[in-house]
Amino acid sequence: MATERGSAAVSLSGVRKTYQLGEPVHALDGVSLEIPTGSYTAVMGPSGSGKSTLMNLVGCLDTPTAGTITIDDQDVTAVSDRERTRIRGEDIGFVFQTFNLMPRLTARENVALPMVFRGVGRSERQQRAAAVLDSVGLGDRLDHRPNELSGGQRQRVAIARALVNDPALLLADEPTGNLDTETGEQIMGLFEDLYEQGNTILMVTHERPIAEHAERIVHLLDGEIERVEELSEVGR
Amino acid sequence: MNPLESLRISWRSIRGHKLRSTLTTLGVIIGIAAVITFVTLGTGLQDEIVGDISPDDQQNVYVWAAPPEDSGQGPLAGAQPVFTQRDASEVANLSGVDDAYVYTRIPGQSVTYAGDTVPRDGGFVGTGPGYFDAEDFAEGERFERGEAQAVINPAMAGLFDGNVSVGDTLTLGIYQGVQIDVTVTGILEDSESMSAFEGFAPSPRLYVPADLTENADTRTELNLSEEELSELLGDREISNQSNLSGELGGLLGQSTPGESSRHIALVVEAPSKSDADIERVKTETEAYLDSAESDASDRSEGLAFQLKTSAELISQLEDVLDLLQDFIVGIAGISLLVGSIGIANIMLVSVTERTREIGIMKAVGAQRRDILELFIVEAVILGVLGAILGTALGLLAGYVVAGYIGIPWVFPVGWTALAIVVGIAVGVLAGLYPAWNASRTDPIDALRYE
Repeated sequence: MATERGSAAVSLSGVRKTYQLGEPVHALDGVSLEIPTGSYTAVMGPSGSGKSTLMNLVGCLDTPTAGTITIDDQDVTAVSDRERTRIRGEDIGFVFQTFNLMPRLTARENVALPMVFRGVGRSERQQRAAAVLDSVGLGDRLDHRPNELSGGQRQRVAIARALVNDPALLLADEPTGNLDTETGEQIMGLFEDLYEQGNTILMVTHERPIAEHAERIVHLLDGEIERVEELSEVGR
Repeated sequence: MNPLESLRISWRSIRGHKLRSTLTTLGVIIGIAAVITFVTLGTGLQDEIVGDISPDDQQNVYVWAAPPEDSGQGPLAGAQPVFTQRDASEVANLSGVDDAYVYTRIPGQSVTYAGDTVPRDGGFVGTGPGYFDAEDFAEGERFERGEAQAVINPAMAGLFDGNVSVGDTLTLGIYQGVQIDVTVTGILEDSESMSAFEGFAPSPRLYVPADLTENADTRTELNLSEEELSELLGDREISNQSNLSGELGGLLGQSTPGESSRHIALVVEAPSKSDADIERVKTETEAYLDSAESDASDRSEGLAFQLKTSAELISQLEDVLDLLQDFIVGIAGISLLVGSIGIANIMLVSVTERTREIGIMKAVGAQRRDILELFIVEAVILGVLGAILGTALGLLAGYVVAGYIGIPWVFPVGWTALAIVVGIAVGVLAGLYPAWNASRTDPIDALRYE
């Protein structure tokens, strides 16, 4: 959708994240990874392997102890909190396991929220939000609040919200974790469509069947990349 | 972020907690309403008082004798009955004095007109004819000294079913069952108080010569049994009807028998309202009262003569009113403080409750200052809402009470504006810390927050 395929949407180089818990604990220990524009990458690994830390770092929610991360050719490690927040809002689209919608806002308002913080005008927000919701199949649920929507619908709202600023990277953290298998499959289908449309997707999951929807799987273990598994078209 | 947008979002979260928001603003509402009500009433009262100084009143000096510690407490505070009718006449004859007359309060219980009796707990005003001017009257004229006559105001006339007019007879019930018939010589134009001595609200008033009870000889009708009479008079000797009346007059007029009545105050008129004339009247009158020549000097030991113009009395009263107002505003201030603590408290709770929402907003690109703005705006909305509702409530209460006690209602523009400013200030102050807390929330923790 946004940029042409091939160049790196995100690139990590020697990224290390160390927590001081009595003794230093390396949540990530020298991770280097390139996520090409328009690619679909899954990150797998057991608990404590560093998946969440990787997500937080790539999502500009956290800063690495060492190493550099560039998103859309911007170095996000050496910038102010303010700048990182801006990048987060404009270049990253988050999809969470627990949806994380604003309970008092309608579907349309939830989707429009990232544009509010970018200073986009009201009528433009309304239109754009409606269009994106329509594209994820919720064109008839614009004025419903989260509690009036099913789990799958909520996740679609969340995906619409992630897409609304036309981000360089769609970051999904266990997007089917709170959904039943059938709904989960539908959501994975939606991700596949988004991938087909040219979006760059990075998804964290611990479920092999879910991860197999991606082009490749990055296996993390103890803060290091164990191996990168390229999946054939057949696998998906 | 667009300020209008933060207003919308904040307003929405306030509406999401209607009951909580209402209770939160209650502290501010009460505080502001209290200030506005009392300021409205205070201003109305002052206007009423100040509006009452007629040009004629401006040249009057009010004189009474009171213990020195009571000075500055307002008109007639601690006033003792020391002045005689002779004092008034002597003062009237002083050079530089236009006229002088006594002022006294005659205790009374009822007034009867054509068989229709109304209770009068407040008693009657006893004074001299000079208390009135020809233009004060709607009908008739002033009474004569020493006559059984009365002047009434329209409010008093309105108490009776019948239409009281000049020449009619009223029966005054003085206490202990004494009744005096008086002829109405005049009805006043309005029911405002005629001097600072009477209090300030318009109310039914009846004015009689100060020496009415003194000279209550043949007009006095006794509805007393033999026992009551002897109890009232004690062992005083009663030789004839006139002596009996004298005794009664003495009892009623707050003086000892055998002497003429003592009155609690004098009103002395200067020829003009110029400071020089007023000053002269004061000096001359005080010199006379202090001299052994005056009757008042016999009784004035330990007392100080108070000589005040209406303006001085009013400013004294205004001082008292201001003090009272400051006091109430102080209490309201405490209520506001409590109100803002309430807002701060609820905002802190709200921040904790919405930790996850804060995390979401941060994840989708909300800057720290956006979050700060949102929560401060929310607190300010609560504060301003409280201020607006409080102001409306205060104005309404002020209006109702002013109407009830009969003083003009004044719209306190300055205070209303101030109330809104205070509402904003309360909101900002109360919201600052919670909002700052919210803005510092770590999005990673916040998103995980259940």
